[in-house]
Amino acid sequence: MRSSATPKRRQGAALKTPRKAAVKPAVEKAQAPQRGARSQQTRFSSRLRAWGRHHRSMGWDSFQRLIRYPLGNLLTMLAIAIALVLPAALWLTLDSARLLDAELDESATLTVYLELSADDAQSLRIEEAVNAEPGVLETQLISAEQGMAEFQQSLGLDDALAGLESNPLPISMVVRPESVDPVAMQQLAARLEALAGVDEVRLDLAWVERLRNLAELGRRVALALGVLFGLGVLLVVGNTIRLSVESRRREIEVVMLIGATHAFVRRPFLYSGAWYGLGGGLLALGLLGLGNHWLSLPVSALAASYGASFSLPQLDVTGSTILLSCSTLLGWLGAWLAVTRHLSSIRPR
Amino acid sequence: MIAFEHVGKRYGGRFEALAHLNFRVARGEMVFLTGHSGAGKSSLLRLIMRLEKPSRGRVVVAGHDIAQLHASQVPFYRRQIGVVFQDHQLLFDRSIFHNVSLPLEIQGVEPREAARRVRAALDKVGLLHREKALPIELSGGEQQRVGIARAVVNKPALLLADEPTGNLDPQLSADIMALFEDFNRIGTTVMIASHDLALIARLRHRILRLSDGRLVADEGAV
Repeated sequence: MRSSATPKRRQGAALKTPRKAAVKPAVEKAQAPQRGARSQQTRFSSRLRAWGRHHRSMGWDSFQRLIRYPLGNLLTMLAIAIALVLPAALWLTLDSARLLDAELDESATLTVYLELSADDAQSLRIEEAVNAEPGVLETQLISAEQGMAEFQQSLGLDDALAGLESNPLPISMVVRPESVDPVAMQQLAARLEALAGVDEVRLDLAWVERLRNLAELGRRVALALGVLFGLGVLLVVGNTIRLSVESRRREIEVVMLIGATHAFVRRPFLYSGAWYGLGGGLLALGLLGLGNHWLSLPVSALAASYGASFSLPQLDVTGSTILLSCSTLLGWLGAWLAVTRHLSSIRPR
Repeated sequence: MIAFEHVGKRYGGRFEALAHLNFRVARGEMVFLTGHSGAGKSSLLRLIMRLEKPSRGRVVVAGHDIAQLHASQVPFYRRQIGVVFQDHQLLFDRSIFHNVSLPLEIQGVEPREAARRVRAALDKVGLLHREKALPIELSGGEQQRVGIARAVVNKPALLLADEPTGNLDPQLSADIMALFEDFNRIGTTVMIASHDLALIARLRHRILRLSDGRLVADEGAV
């Protein structure tokens, strides 16, 4: 293009504003109205395309800046990752605790003690009556002898109990309720206690309650930690972006002098922030995986020693996506806050 | 194109940079702004660029009362004005080509069209062969010409220049001024702040002379 003379002259001409017709070359006359009409026609769509183009180029540009200083940026991302790993790990732990919680629900039962005078025939009638109550899922009778045997086994008091002349235990019944809601269970217990032949109904809600409360506490701690560490991510990204705004101050001043909008100036930094967030999120996923791998062996060995099989929970696709989008969003937000706060202090000289 | 009506500008409540300024610049005019340093030339240009608002009076540029412009409109207002700075304000980490294309990038001009216009502007200032160079590789005069190319690349109706020949030798200064005259000849309104009295006297354009923030002479007005 540089070598040929004709296009060169045309380019020179195109620069001139078509105001003084006398000095305008012929080429210009033909071009000017055409250009005007075209820009009118496609103003909106071309602005939209320009906007998309700038987004693409800034996304790519900020990514390249990230790669240009790999170590420093990696450290920033690592800080973000660590801030994300802690609440995420706690959340995973609670998630597995919720599985345990479900198992606990399975074992939430009421124990119905019949009156001592009740014999086997009566106990069968009472069991029918209990089964007829709404909210009862299933029942299991435990004879006095069975009860004694279990009692002995669990306490190891064979000798002391052997000295007793007669079995002091009543016939009992284990009732599994339909609902493990504490209030519903209490109501059921009261109804069962009112039945003829029933001496007492015990329900061991206290430890179920305690565990529930513990789980709730854990959830709240995880949430609070999540919020705190989320703020931490904002600060880390915000500070990094603040420094990069500062280092590009001159450039910002110049583009503002020649008519750049705040959105235009902000865009590359927002992309940087989002990249930091995404990178931090990916690193966090890696750290979680690493931690899982590191802990899985002792955990399964421990579980096996209790005769249980338990494997550490892992972040599934949904969880990973949520983590990544949260971290990206946090990075973007941190950058937005930092740039917006900082831009007001930058005024072109 | 430019109208100053009883304009005053104070900084920090005390220092009076400009006072009782009244003048008009017609569309297509070429005007020199002169006066000793500290006379208010830069303040005046800063008002036109809307880097400052007047403390008193009205500044109307291309139909806009600059004090009435909302902050969100300012960028679009500035796009109508090409500015050449004494210290060029080039970005040293970008090639000449990218420096010149910056205003077009900001306005979202389609890349092929932008490249065409950038080359046209560089050709006009005689630096087309240096488009891939970095600003640091150019001489002072060449850098100034890049600054001019950047100022005119989006065909502004108004071209401002603050001491564009400040650090240049007489021959280069004359070349730069000739360039401004070329742009003026095709209809661009040009306002140049300069204290190179010998040079601007030779060029025979209107001269606004400032002293202590006041307009003390308006010579050669049409």
